[in-house]
Amino acid sequence: MLAVIVSGLAIGAVYAAAALAYNVMFSTSKVLSVTTGHLFMLGSVFGAWFIGTLGWPIPLGLLGAIAVGAAFGWLTEIVAVRRVLARSDEHLWLLSTLALATMGQQAVGLWWGTEPRPFPRLIEQDFASGLADQKYWLPIGLVLVLALGLELFYRGTLWGKLFQATSEDAFAARARGIATDRVRSFSYLLAGALGGLAGFAAGQLTFAFFALGLQLTLFGFIALAVGGLGSNLGALVGGTALGLLSSVASYFFGGEFQHTIAVGLLMVVLLVKPEGLFGAKRVRPV
Amino acid sequence: MTSLSLPRAVSAALFSVLLGGTSFAQEPIKIGWLSSLTGPLSSAAIAENQGVQFAVDEINKAGGINGRKIELLTRDTAGEPTKAVNLAQQLVFSDKVHVVIGPVNSGESLATVPILAKAGIPNIVIGALEGLIDEKKFPYAFRAINTNTQWIAGANNYALDVLKKKKVAVIGDTSGYGTASAKTATELLEKAGIKPVYSVLIDPNKTDVSDEMNKAKTAGADVVMPWTAATGLMARILNTRGNMGWDVPVVGHPAVMALPIKALLNKPEYWENTFAAGYQSTTYVDGKLPERTQKLVDALKPALGGKIDFTFWWVALGYDCVKIIEHVVKTTGGLEPAKFKATLEATKDFPGIYASYTWTPQDHNGFPDRNIVVNSANSFKDGSYDKAPH
Amino acid sequence: MSTNARNLALAAAGALALLTLPYWAKDLYWLHLATLIGAYWILIAGLNLVTGYAGQLSIGHVGLLAVGAYGFAILAGTHGLDPFLSLLLCGALGGIAGLLLGLPSLRLPGFYFAMATMAFALIVTELSLALGGLTGGGTGLSVPGFPSPMNSPWGYYWLVLAVAAGVTWLTWNVARFMWGRALIAIRDSEVAAASAGIGLFRLKLTVFVFSGITAGIGGGLFASLQSYITPDTFVFEIGLFFFVCIIIGGRGTILGPFIGTVILTALPEIVAPLAKLGAFFYGLMLLIVVLLIPEGVGRLVEVLIRRFRGEPHRSHEVKPDLPRLASVLARKEDAA
Repeated sequence: MLAVIVSGLAIGAVYAAAALAYNVMFSTSKVLSVTTGHLFMLGSVFGAWFIGTLGWPIPLGLLGAIAVGAAFGWLTEIVAVRRVLARSDEHLWLLSTLALATMGQQAVGLWWGTEPRPFPRLIEQDFASGLADQKYWLPIGLVLVLALGLELFYRGTLWGKLFQATSEDAFAARARGIATDRVRSFSYLLAGALGGLAGFAAGQLTFAFFALGLQLTLFGFIALAVGGLGSNLGALVGGTALGLLSSVASYFFGGEFQHTIAVGLLMVVLLVKPEGLFGAKRVRPV
Repeated sequence: MTSLSLPRAVSAALFSVLLGGTSFAQEPIKIGWLSSLTGPLSSAAIAENQGVQFAVDEINKAGGINGRKIELLTRDTAGEPTKAVNLAQQLVFSDKVHVVIGPVNSGESLATVPILAKAGIPNIVIGALEGLIDEKKFPYAFRAINTNTQWIAGANNYALDVLKKKKVAVIGDTSGYGTASAKTATELLEKAGIKPVYSVLIDPNKTDVSDEMNKAKTAGADVVMPWTAATGLMARILNTRGNMGWDVPVVGHPAVMALPIKALLNKPEYWENTFAAGYQSTTYVDGKLPERTQKLVDALKPALGGKIDFTFWWVALGYDCVKIIEHVVKTTGGLEPAKFKATLEATKDFPGIYASYTWTPQDHNGFPDRNIVVNSANSFKDGSYDKAPH
Repeated sequence: MSTNARNLALAAAGALALLTLPYWAKDLYWLHLATLIGAYWILIAGLNLVTGYAGQLSIGHVGLLAVGAYGFAILAGTHGLDPFLSLLLCGALGGIAGLLLGLPSLRLPGFYFAMATMAFALIVTELSLALGGLTGGGTGLSVPGFPSPMNSPWGYYWLVLAVAAGVTWLTWNVARFMWGRALIAIRDSEVAAASAGIGLFRLKLTVFVFSGITAGIGGGLFASLQSYITPDTFVFEIGLFFFVCIIIGGRGTILGPFIGTVILTALPEIVAPLAKLGAFFYGLMLLIVVLLIPEGVGRLVEVLIRRFRGEPHRSHEVKPDLPRLASVLARKEDAA
């Protein structure tokens, strides 16, 4: 049973990281990007390519994976968000990010192949270490560090304060002379880097697999919606809850019903508490 | 001038048409080849395509069959049944092929076999699911590959009779093929009087299978039998077994022997004590392959850069499919469906590379049981394997 | 008046062309494609009201297609019910599934709704595998055809055409009258629509259930055309495809999505390299349309036709008259 909990926590940490990435992008643009999960997929695929295929040293491979994630995040902002936000239609961003996500996934599938490929070992450790294995603890540790880091960043740095100001009220922020466009670009870059890093850390758990993206987009979103949109604490709690639930449920009922159960959780939470566990109540849609 | 030359041009054209008519025997043999060269299930199809392409080139270089060249029409289904149905219609009605090979995956074949049967086009089936062959409903469909049951029975026999194991854990995946195979495996075991101590279906993308493996161990399993074609899941099963330090044999689907697995394993020794149903034709006996297989390996190796890094039986199967068609054309002079059916139904022990085929009017499954052997997964060398220890 | 007559003539010519398609189609393969487009269109026409008119982005309609397809295979195949009755029941089944999906999810904001529909598609696939006794599990089910004369490719085409025409007529009526206006109002601004007295949720739910019914019927016809269905048939990409057809064709019209469906089904068949790119192609088309012509290709064609006909181009843009402004300013300065 301990094994079920540890593996649930590990995969839950990946969902939580995806929810964090959603939050970073949402705070400055009010956009939920379909490409969120694909940032993680790129982190793991490019990490595996840099280290496993090209033979780069691990730190360089890590930097490379972060850079690729950041680049895709930035690309999302330039191609799929910036132009679309200028228009009044509120749903266009969903379409444009969906289009970009589909293209990204298919391109990686054509280039990298559709079979999962191995991700290299990052730290010297015996494979028989059971539950102390790095594939569990790397994502769990990393997501805690990321959440803490984001919190410090928001509270302690000038850029973080700009983020918050933009997030609270973009018009007011612009009126006070904040270049909200640049803040938004930076937030996508940051989310991309975060996704690349987390995808890299979870690579040994997920393998380098092209279809990982869409799955994480969905499950990260469920974690986010359960925890509450905009709340980083909620992202952690939602991700953990979802990871544990999936793993315990498939322990008892087998793997045949895992989507049904995950979506069941989402529906229950949304019916009881539509803003999520830690989300702020949405005031009004006008 | 022009008014005079026009009728002449017409008559010349007519003449050439007539000439073309007389050289009817020179009309190419059109083979449709439904192959999932891209998409999530492409690895087997790519290898099979090597064999098909090689056989066609070889025959055409030698002047064709009875002087008729082969025209190969390859269509990429991307592994989607809907596309496979569209392309089957295209091959039959637009391209007017004489015979169709494929599709590669059972899920696609289930949809195309009835369509080809309705159109009365001979079909060489290379999907392993049982329901694809029905001598009454699909009279022109003949199977070259083994059936799924043959694979499973081969693996079961090895686990029960050779390894003398009685406590079996059956693992399937949640895909169509995985659920169907796990079900067949359980049924066959029960027929042999064995009830699996543990059976489970796992999502092929599930990142961690240690709880399933722990449960299997707790249930007292002394052999693990995975039935999944998903490389990632197979590798996770082997990795978990190794990481747990659980010394249990794994006997299952041939995917466990595919080379991509090796790269996914934590340690090379995790591939030990792992066996799967394979083929006599790609099994080394005293370090040697059967003569026919070796010939094809030698012929193909230079084109593949001097090494073969995929399971060779796919290539052999693709090669044989074309050779079976050649056999029919040589025997009857054409591919007329009724003659195609009669010829193959009378074919006994046709010596292919992948297997020796026998079809009868009662049984359109050409692959004989005796051509199945069990291999050791880690003995991969140039696409072939050693026999599992007895 | 004359444009009306011309439109009527065009529509009649189009209907005649569709009706006689079996006589001029190159071969049975093209007839099969046309029938497939028809079956897809029955679903897309309903989805168009949800997505193109009411602006609810459902990317998981493939789940409803699967419900209809499995429903038909089980009712007409396993239980041997009359195919026409089965088809009606499939519509009811699709409608119920649409109701079950729409009830909780249509209250949610856009992205939440899209994700809920995607999850629904995954759940249907999951259940079709898990409930092996009913659905044949991974092995799938064989699907019966319709009785004579609908058992020939021609007959079946006409059957699908008739149903498609009926569904199109229904959606056209919905779109033309007050309902359609209300739906567009919802799409463009939910708040404004609500303040104009439109019962948002009920209207959205009604349309969504209607799209479930058409998806169920489309699914039944699709299954019978395929003659065999497995869970692998209903991949997520098909759901994406339906959705892209509407967006590319143009939201808020009926002709646009129809053209989108025809083009997107036929193009990969004609141009083989596009098939290899698969979903990448759909993604690219979607991105181009969203970024460059968000009104869709149908709208673009409309504008081009207008320009071609030389109708006066009415500009709503208010351009500043700079010289006049300069002169006014100069005068003021003079006065000062």
